[in-house]
Amino acid sequence: MEKMKYEKPGMTKINAGMPSKFGMPVKQKIVAEIDGITVSSLIEEYGSPLFVISETTMRNTYAEAKRAFDTRYPKVQFAWSYKTNYLDAVCSIYHDEGSWAEVVSGFEFEKALANGVDGSRILFNGPDKSKADLIMAIENNACIHIDHFDELYLLIETTREIGLKARVAIRVNLDAGIYPIWDRFGFNYENGDAWNAINRIMLAESLDLIGLHTHIGTYIMVQSAYAIAASKLANLYMAIHRKFDYWLKYIDLGGGFASKNTLKGAYMPGSETCPSFDDYAEAISNALISSEIPHENLPVLFLETGRALIDDAGYLLTTVLANKRLNSGRRSMIIDAGVNLLFTSFWYNLNVYPTRELGHAEESTIYGPLCMNIDVIRDAIVFPQVKTGEQLVIERVGAYNITQSMQFITYRPNVVLIDERGKTHIIRKKESLETFKHVELNPKRS
Amino acid sequence: MKITDEIRISDNGFVFNSKTGDSFNINPTGLELTKLIALDSDFDDIKEIFLEKYDLDDLTFENDFYEFCALLKHNQITVQEDPLDFK
Ligand SMILES: Cc1ncc(COP(=O)(O)O)c(C=O)c1O
Repeated sequence: MEKMKYEKPGMTKINAGMPSKFGMPVKQKIVAEIDGITVSSLIEEYGSPLFVISETTMRNTYAEAKRAFDTRYPKVQFAWSYKTNYLDAVCSIYHDEGSWAEVVSGFEFEKALANGVDGSRILFNGPDKSKADLIMAIENNACIHIDHFDELYLLIETTREIGLKARVAIRVNLDAGIYPIWDRFGFNYENGDAWNAINRIMLAESLDLIGLHTHIGTYIMVQSAYAIAASKLANLYMAIHRKFDYWLKYIDLGGGFASKNTLKGAYMPGSETCPSFDDYAEAISNALISSEIPHENLPVLFLETGRALIDDAGYLLTTVLANKRLNSGRRSMIIDAGVNLLFTSFWYNLNVYPTRELGHAEESTIYGPLCMNIDVIRDAIVFPQVKTGEQLVIERVGAYNITQSMQFITYRPNVVLIDERGKTHIIRKKESLETFKHVELNPKRS
Repeated sequence: MKITDEIRISDNGFVFNSKTGDSFNINPTGLELTKLIALDSDFDDIKEIFLEKYDLDDLTFENDFYEFCALLKHNQITVQEDPLDFK
């Protein structure tokens, strides 16, 4: 006699009068493949856990962002924010799409040069620029975004020493109606520091002021904040013209567009609540076009969009190591990817999906494999019963997770790119003991 | 392990605990287990019944059985009178 299909015994408490916050439970989404390649074959070939990046999604998202701005503003230039994801293969795709590079360290600067970016197309941000970094930037004709007065004077001193001019902008921090204000970076608009810095730069013969920069924060959920920031930079732009009879070349509004991830504590999913590229573009373009700036003198608009461009293109494939019923009765499971690979799990409720139809779902906690109490990927997620070995997909992890991942307890995994033709390529190799032998030294004791 | 007197179990898997006021839905295999436990059946007998009937290996059954027992206990459907009682 043929045996019946077995379903794991389970029970759920009925909470009368307390439907879930989205009403009836929705059908569980399944992610069985990425760009036509099955998750199981990717794991079989490259191991688990595994970061996967979709070139198609990268390019489509970039095209969507570019279209949103190009159709509303005459001169737009994106600069890829290296820290968001600086794997060479990733940066090269954005450069191929026409992006410049936005870097915040000597290391990132060197990476951009090595990726073939012309020095004049590198925007150099951040509070940490050593004298050697500044010399590299000056010699390569980069746009140096000055962060503080000490840097301004170091730059003047350096240009004098090496007898070259530097192209500069200043980073401005301002009240755009969102809090906290990131006032630790750049010169404040409201208290006059920014105007003060501009005046000192205009007097310095070895510095060419060519732009104004701000980055008001990250995951900004209100597009109107950008309109305020754009108007304030437009005021400075016009003030410079009035006082010095000089037009700057660009206004750089930094990054900060929200990705579709859901912030912890948010009531609605990010995909429902975050502004679209069109919303941001509309707010920014209107603010600049309706400012006092004459149409023929409108600056180039630079954007350093990071997470909103790459988050959706990145996946982390993972495997269930164990299921565990906690003393509280709550179901939990342990997966082979921990918070050391998923830095963004600290502020997002990352989406985790099964790769096939599974049974009965129940509120669960998902732990990573690290022998550390903080290793929690999701505190509470309604998730089906799974067996050990079940493969899962974590979505929207393209931004910051790879660059901020930390080697801890075990090796960091392969990163694979699926190209536009559906071919897979390792773009960063899994670590091994060799990786460590390469950099560690053990002094011989006599 | 004993199902408490306050528990009412219907044939479609609806469970009501008149002591706590809680109600639960149990899936078909869970219901089958609960009924066998209510009859005070032995683990080995229950296992045999399940392995006979379902496409299932013994270790999966054992793991799921004890997890389900923990759920019953957690939801006060069964009581553990002695912490060293294992059945
Ligand atoms: C100066 C600067 N530009 C751009 C970005 C990219 O920001 P996001 O990923 O929020 O778009 C950052 C990130 O912190 C930044 O500091």
